Amino acid sequence: MPAISVRDLRKTFQMKRKSAGLRGSLRALWRPTYQSIEAVRGLSFEMEDGELLGFIGPNGAGKSTTIKILTGILHPSSGEAAVLGHVPWQDRQALAFQIGSVFGQRPQLWYHLPAVDTFYLFGKIYEIDDSSLKRRISFLAEAFEIEELLETPVRKLSLGQRMRCEVAASLLHRPRVLLLDEPSIGLDVVAKQRLRMTIQRMNDMEGVGVLLTSHDAGDIETLCRRVIIVNHGEIVYRDKVSALKRRYLTVKTVDVRYNEQLAPDFSLPGVEMVKVGRYGAKMRFDTRVTPVEPVISGLAAAGSLADVTVSEPSLEEVISAIYARTEV
Amino acid sequence: MGRQLSFVVALWKTNLLSAMEYRVSFLTQVIGMMLNNAIYFVFWIIFFARFEEINGWDLVDMLFLFGVVATGFGAGTYLFGNSVRLSSLIANGQMDYYLSLPRPVLLHALASRSNASSAGDFTYGLFSFGAAIYFSGSFGGLMLLRFTLGCLASIVVLISFLVLVQSLTFWIGNTSLLTRHAFNAIVTFSLYPITLFDGTAKLFLFTLVPAAFIGALPAEFVRRFDLLQLAQICAGGAVFLVLAVFVFYRGLRRYESGSAIQVRM
Repeated sequence: MPAISVRDLRKTFQMKRKSAGLRGSLRALWRPTYQSIEAVRGLSFEMEDGELLGFIGPNGAGKSTTIKILTGILHPSSGEAAVLGHVPWQDRQALAFQIGSVFGQRPQLWYHLPAVDTFYLFGKIYEIDDSSLKRRISFLAEAFEIEELLETPVRKLSLGQRMRCEVAASLLHRPRVLLLDEPSIGLDVVAKQRLRMTIQRMNDMEGVGVLLTSHDAGDIETLCRRVIIVNHGEIVYRDKVSALKRRYLTVKTVDVRYNEQLAPDFSLPGVEMVKVGRYGAKMRFDTRVTPVEPVISGLAAAGSLADVTVSEPSLEEVISAIYARTEV
Repeated sequence: MGRQLSFVVALWKTNLLSAMEYRVSFLTQVIGMMLNNAIYFVFWIIFFARFEEINGWDLVDMLFLFGVVATGFGAGTYLFGNSVRLSSLIANGQMDYYLSLPRPVLLHALASRSNASSAGDFTYGLFSFGAAIYFSGSFGGLMLLRFTLGCLASIVVLISFLVLVQSLTFWIGNTSLLTRHAFNAIVTFSLYPITLFDGTAKLFLFTLVPAAFIGALPAEFVRRFDLLQLAQICAGGAVFLVLAVFVFYRGLRRYESGSAIQVRM
């Protein structure tokens, strides 16, 4: 049985519309008009037990709404969903004992208190007995490298340190599924890497399944084997991350430098010249149209090579391209 | 029941720890609120210096009334501090946190904050009750029991009323202003002798703004045992509590969350 199963899930919000200015406000006061916004439009997907699944999309794509439905925070307008066999909006409390959630913009740690105080409160919330809780806190503190941070008031922690404590708090009750909504938002590169490492470690050690939404393609690339891309509330792509890269990483960019000056009319067949200088050039080609081998031979034939770099577009660029294709 | 009690006690303990991070601010608010209440009561001292009683109520009755209202109000809004800001929690999408944890949403939300100034109200209420006992010359274990019961009934109706008013946020959007007016109305009316009102006004104080259940009724019950009054305050508390829980959970189905950046204080 999959850990998460979603069928034709829909969520529509009623948004009040108002034209600009005082006149618009007065009119809206007298005769308000509403517009239906479909945040989620018939999503269907499954996540296996212990899987790390990426769920990405631009702002307003419906990611957070979907996560909120799966945690029981929101009721869907229609459709079905089951998380670990529970219908989230009907069995919210029973489900909450088995899942953990972290929302990057909604901290659960008490701001003025050390994280350990929130951990003890969570122990009561999740009904963990005192000795098990102490062992669990000590295990998570070591796994997340937060031993030194636990007794510092949360307001004095850096964003990266706080987020590691947040994720640790969500794992206190040994959930089978972790729903992470933008956990890396606002973190610097080093903090992101540490957070990814700890999530991966918990997946390896305890087999906790993770549904991860992120704006950062790096999170998905590092952690997830499979990815679902949503835009305008619909799934626009779903496959393995490796397949996504294979399918969309066909455009190569080449930076070349020579020991001697280049001919002024330097060019290669099937290759788009992005920039040509006196001693080097930057170019781009699609491997489906122009194979790699003649390009490299052509570069070697053009003069004495000093350096060549062939690079692929980042996953971020690939995803942007997919979003762009689905824009209406 | 025991599970929820242990959880709520843990929440209250965490609130206290949070308040103790800023001890000076906490004490200032407590003392400030006690002074504020004392200054307000000076008005009644001056009033009763000129008039012996008002429709059968004298200064000692007022001390009992202030004792019950301030103790009930203080304890209620200290232990269930979010009862005065539920509207903004709903309107700003801040119920997500409580919905994602395995506890009753309303109880969890209400008990997740303590107002330091409410501790001042509570302490003032105890002083007022002490003064009422001193001047009335009557004291005993039964009176203490009646006072505890009266305060509990007062807390239940006050918190239920605040929840009811603010649950309207689920249907009509932000009700912060309405909440403030309702809050001021219930506190103001609960601090007047009930004998001042009759007919429609009295009906109003037992229904729409149930100030009678928060002040006069429990205060009279504390002063002298009356089975009918006991039944009235218990029934009033039960009705408003059931109504508040029902309306809140009906409204919760309409909750629309939000994406504002939040902080847990």
